[in-house]
Amino acid sequence: MKKANRILTILIFAFLYLPMLVLVVASFNTGKDLTIFQGFTLDNYKAMFQDKDLLALLGNSLLISILSTAVATAFGTLSAVGIHNLKPRLRKTVMSLTNIPMTNPDIVTGISLSLLFVFIGSTLLHQKESLNFWTLLIAHITFNLPYVILNVMPKLKQMNPALQDAAMDLGCTPVQSFFKVTLHEIMPGIVSGAIMAFTMSLDDFVISYFVTGSGFLTLPVEIYSYTKKPMQPRVYAMFTLLFLLIFVLMVTMNLLQIRADKKKVSKQVKPVSKGQKVFRRVCAGVCAVGVLLGCTWLILSTRQKKVTLNVMNWGQNIADGSDETMDIVAAFEEKYPHINVNYTTYDSNESLYAKLAGGGLTVDLIIPSDYMIARLISENMLNPLNFENIPNYRYVQEQFKNTAYDPDNRYSVPYTWGTVGILYNSKYVDEADVTGWELLWNEKYAGKILQFDNSRDAFGVAQFLSGISINTTDTAELKLAAGKLAEQNPLVRQYVMDQIYGIMEGENAWIAPYYAGDCMMMMDANPDLRFYLPEEQGFNLFIDAMCVPSCSENQAEAELFIDFLCDPEISGANMDYICYGSPIEGARDYMDEYLAESDVIYPEQSILDKGVSYLFLPAETNRIMDNLFMEVRIAGGDTVEEEETSVLPVVLTFSGLAVAAALLFLPKRKRK
Amino acid sequence: MSKELIRLQDLTMEFDGERILDGINLYFNDKEFLTLLGPSGCGKTTTLRIIGGFLTPTSGRVLFDGKCINDVPAYQRQINTVFQRYALFPHLDVYGNIAFGLKVAKLSKEEIHERVQEILTVVGLTGFEHRSIDSLSGGQQQRVAIARALVNRPKVLLLDEPLAALDLRLRKDMQNELKRIQQAMGITFIYVTHDQEEALSMSDTVVVMDKGRIQQIGRPEDIYNEPKNAFVADFIGESNILDGIMLSDYKVKFFGRVFDCVDAGFAPNEPVDVVIRPEDIDFVPAGEGHLVGTVTSVTFKGLNYDIIVDFRGFKWLIQTTDYHGEGETVGIRLNPEDIHIMHKSEYSGMFGDYSSYSAEYDELTEDADDEEE
Repeated sequence: MKKANRILTILIFAFLYLPMLVLVVASFNTGKDLTIFQGFTLDNYKAMFQDKDLLALLGNSLLISILSTAVATAFGTLSAVGIHNLKPRLRKTVMSLTNIPMTNPDIVTGISLSLLFVFIGSTLLHQKESLNFWTLLIAHITFNLPYVILNVMPKLKQMNPALQDAAMDLGCTPVQSFFKVTLHEIMPGIVSGAIMAFTMSLDDFVISYFVTGSGFLTLPVEIYSYTKKPMQPRVYAMFTLLFLLIFVLMVTMNLLQIRADKKKVSKQVKPVSKGQKVFRRVCAGVCAVGVLLGCTWLILSTRQKKVTLNVMNWGQNIADGSDETMDIVAAFEEKYPHINVNYTTYDSNESLYAKLAGGGLTVDLIIPSDYMIARLISENMLNPLNFENIPNYRYVQEQFKNTAYDPDNRYSVPYTWGTVGILYNSKYVDEADVTGWELLWNEKYAGKILQFDNSRDAFGVAQFLSGISINTTDTAELKLAAGKLAEQNPLVRQYVMDQIYGIMEGENAWIAPYYAGDCMMMMDANPDLRFYLPEEQGFNLFIDAMCVPSCSENQAEAELFIDFLCDPEISGANMDYICYGSPIEGARDYMDEYLAESDVIYPEQSILDKGVSYLFLPAETNRIMDNLFMEVRIAGGDTVEEEETSVLPVVLTFSGLAVAAALLFLPKRKRK
Repeated sequence: MSKELIRLQDLTMEFDGERILDGINLYFNDKEFLTLLGPSGCGKTTTLRIIGGFLTPTSGRVLFDGKCINDVPAYQRQINTVFQRYALFPHLDVYGNIAFGLKVAKLSKEEIHERVQEILTVVGLTGFEHRSIDSLSGGQQQRVAIARALVNRPKVLLLDEPLAALDLRLRKDMQNELKRIQQAMGITFIYVTHDQEEALSMSDTVVVMDKGRIQQIGRPEDIYNEPKNAFVADFIGESNILDGIMLSDYKVKFFGRVFDCVDAGFAPNEPVDVVIRPEDIDFVPAGEGHLVGTVTSVTFKGLNYDIIVDFRGFKWLIQTTDYHGEGETVGIRLNPEDIHIMHKSEYSGMFGDYSSYSAEYDELTEDADDEEE
């Protein structure tokens, strides 16, 4: 029995700490692949400390956590005292009311707070940007409060109520008695409440995501938008440091507690000399002033007097100085010292649209895709550009002018372009089968085929195969395409977006339709991968272009940035990182050779001419397409989901074991 | 006696419609040791908390030096309290606890030091300044609690069952100690206890309370010898209480016999309660007694035997040093001064019958008392 207990304990600890260990190991890995350890390196840490954006985000996160924890701890403690002094029945009611926000799904809290802030900010105060640092701070304080109250209440209950009477009896006013006696008694509860609040605040994503504007982002929110490419190892390094920080914090606290307990047992309390006392006070004072100054500095540094240019781009869609690429934003800021770029990201055209349509934001520059630009223009959400500020527009190649989405070249300047083709693994796929989109329907490769997890791209593939226009609004045609997808469903391993990297590189699937630039990166990681563009059947040619949304406050500066990005040298350097085609004449001369020469990124003009762009579709068509796609996925039953559920019993067994062990341990202790 | 210091006028207290105190009128003299004595829930602690300023009475007034202090908060009253379970501050050492009140009053460091040292001498804890509270024994904690209150030189010290948590021997020592301190410091002590022996041995005045009302006020001897009703007679020591009829002054009839007594002032033929203390009864040979009965139980108590004697179906408790075996027929004599007559009260018939006597009886009631909050 004893042995079994020990084994269970070890299992539980393994269960709890193994994920952390994987992260720590990954942070020291030379290779980019999570699954194979290729060698020890500290480069990831170096990269982390050189990445000022990442550090700034961490600073933001710490700033919000520290401030919200401080405020929530103060208010929470006072509220707990207030609640404790209520009559028992009322106290119970109030306690369950304070507990509800904690059990409330974060997403509900987040959205309600966001609605409230936008309502107050935009409707009542007529602010241009109603979601900002302060709304984020208020939200964090709000969800931190219950944790503090919950930790302080038991300590208040445990406290001998006569202590307060005794303090009053000895001349303390109620306020004095709180500070001189009650506070000391409930301090352990306050500290654990504060720590809990701090950690909740530091890693909160869901609520933060909804209540912060473009001006102030925290680490978790930004990390979430790193979805276009796999996670950078320097992020692992930062997480490892964060984990260690919290680990050391907890261990020190426990050690201090143990020492304090020991002290209590030993009879004589060491008298504290006057010098020590003064020293302690000075230390505490210096720490407090330090934290305060640090916070102030952080606040001030985020709101410098410079012009702030708010840029919103896809995640990882600009060269940032990593992997020996150019740090474009830094170079721009160096060239124009009066401009401070505030760079934020989104993960799809649709989420960008939602953010803009939601209002309350100030954004000066966005880089959506073609069909979304058409939609934004039709809804008057873009400002016409002043091309006098963009002399480098002359470098834009003719084929990217007078496009379908912006026929008069008034609203947009192209940033990148690319194609959608088929990525396949030459080790497993017979070259003879690679003839066109039908490869994705080849039953020979059942279970090894991937498909897009977004309706527009998935329908596009089916429409090209069936010879239907990808911009059709005809329901019958859409149903035909959906039928094709349903037919394909039993062969599909998984519907993916970013997950494609691991699956294709790890050879768990062999065939997938995807964006050329991303395919290029996967081919770099696994040399057996090949890219094929079904030129005969047609393929999607997409353009991401720079636009100034109508909520912009610094259009001139945005145009400066657009001009900067149109410089052939800059554009070339930028493409080195993002692996897409540059629409800028001459940019290829500045790109790495293997990219510039690649026919994945730069197919021949004759092939390119067969590409088709997505057009903006009416909402009704989008809705029908979404519903049909949903039906395809539900009706067919995702084969891979079955595989995933096979993991579920393991997880369940594990959790069951943990619970059983806990149950075994607890009553045993008592019986002893 | 010295002058009056505190007066309670028509004090009533209600919690959630339940009446805890019912018209308390009481005064406390300067430098007096007064004890509020009664069973659990009699209202003695409530009275103390009202005096201390921790509770506001539902109606009635508290006068201090002739001024109403109903609205004066606890921290402004010249009164200090020794709490039931001491309520020492665990985060402070002995010195910190005792100096607490002086620091709040913002006295100079030198004066605080001087006064703490002085009071440590009084309670006999010199050299314990920097001990932590957890490392002290119960008796030492008790002394710290007393020192912490006394160091502020209050006019009145309230003590709420201060010895309840101590063992018997320590309790006896502390009783003497408290009395000594009270006399040395010359301040008023208002003491709350459910222990009648404690009350009798320490107090100048004892106030017996029950059901939120004062049953009797008096010197310890008066309370013991002249209980006003069956409740007091039973609560203070053991009593055999019998129904009797006061025929005339100094003549009382019970058990069909007329006895001489020392009480007068009752109406002719008034039904009364007759109290006979168990230790006042003398055994005589069966033939010579006023009453003859049979011994039904004998318990050895150390100092004496508790003997239960059946007199015509009514069982008496008699405490004596003479041994009489079970089943023995014995006679007793009652002297006039052994018989105490009381008016009938709401308590008549509830106490003083030992028909259900057993040795465990005492302990049971004591346990129940300890649970008072």
